Amino acid sequence: MEPTRNSHATLVDLLDRVLDKGLVINADLIISLAGVPLIGVNLRAALAGMDTMLKYGVMKEWDERTRSWEREQRQKKVEPIHTAQIAR
Amino acid sequence: MSLETQHRAKTQATLATEAIVEEQGRYVYCVANAGEEISLGKIGIEEHEVYAIPYKDVCAVVHNCPAQPYHSDDQEMVKSWVMTHQKVVDAACERWGTVLPLSFDTIIRGEAEKSAEQNVKDWLKQEYEEFKRRIQKVRGRAEYGVQVFWEPEVIAQSLTWTSPEIRNLEEEIKTKPKGLAYMYRQKLGNLIKREMETKADECFKDFYSRIRKYTDDVRVEKTKKAEPGLQMIMNLSCLVYRDRYSELGEELDKINRMRSFAVRFTGPWPPYSFVGAA
Repeated sequence: MEPTRNSHATLVDLLDRVLDKGLVINADLIISLAGVPLIGVNLRAALAGMDTMLKYGVMKEWDERTRSWEREQRQKKVEPIHTAQIAR
Repeated sequence: MSLETQHRAKTQATLATEAIVEEQGRYVYCVANAGEEISLGKIGIEEHEVYAIPYKDVCAVVHNCPAQPYHSDDQEMVKSWVMTHQKVVDAACERWGTVLPLSFDTIIRGEAEKSAEQNVKDWLKQEYEEFKRRIQKVRGRAEYGVQVFWEPEVIAQSLTWTSPEIRNLEEEIKTKPKGLAYMYRQKLGNLIKREMETKADECFKDFYSRIRKYTDDVRVEKTKKAEPGLQMIMNLSCLVYRDRYSELGEELDKINRMRSFAVRFTGPWPPYSFVGAA
């Protein structure tokens, strides 16, 4: 399948990235104002389907578990080398 | 302080300092892998001129703005700002190949003794090594979104056929008097939920390992509410070599063809999920 970037259908995907992610600048260099982060929250509330599944309660724990499983997987990749070094 | 009071305080402060803050900020779109001092034209938010502030062989892509955040209650306006932000990052990406995108509304300010321009330069200088390292990490790659959905009702139904435990309990309910049957049905509901989670687990691990093969890096995002009749069981941001996305697409096709499963594949995006702190 081919990836899509049709502007309307993927607006939510775009917002998830442009509003929450990216390079972070040291806070004392940038303008920030209380309440401004809400800009994203409001916009997303206005768009359909933005609630996370967590609000549903369904599979909430499952979602958390899955993500922690993945974090463990990542760490495991590093661990063997680390342990080997200590063993020597 | 209430939002209203804050707003009023802000307005007063704004009026008082408007003359001073004018053009005293630099809205930063991204850091690019080039040391060019160049204008990209008036393609910025509210048609501001976008240009590059270089340091060595990297640059910050910015426009001049007052030292205050973009803020509006008009959703359409905010939406168009965000889209413009993205378009500028795209333009930079097209021109220079590798960029480190920033999130919307990141504005570097000036200080009494130091201009915003100087702050941008000092920031580039200070973070130079880190930027080069991160540029190296995302060079030749793009970000793709992969979301896997299933039809929970169909899956639950199929579980009642394949799980002996569920089938037994269903049989048992039929023999129970009304009051007791209610309790048993709750028990059945919990059992189905548990089996669904086990199944979702298996799917997640299977898909994850298959997708991982075609990606350079992966972030597992929170699952989101899906359209009626569907449930998202996997939400990934994938960093993929530009020449490997079609292989990933083929693998996703296999998942998409499975009964009761659907895949959304979006991108290419600038590598938003892979440039923050590791």
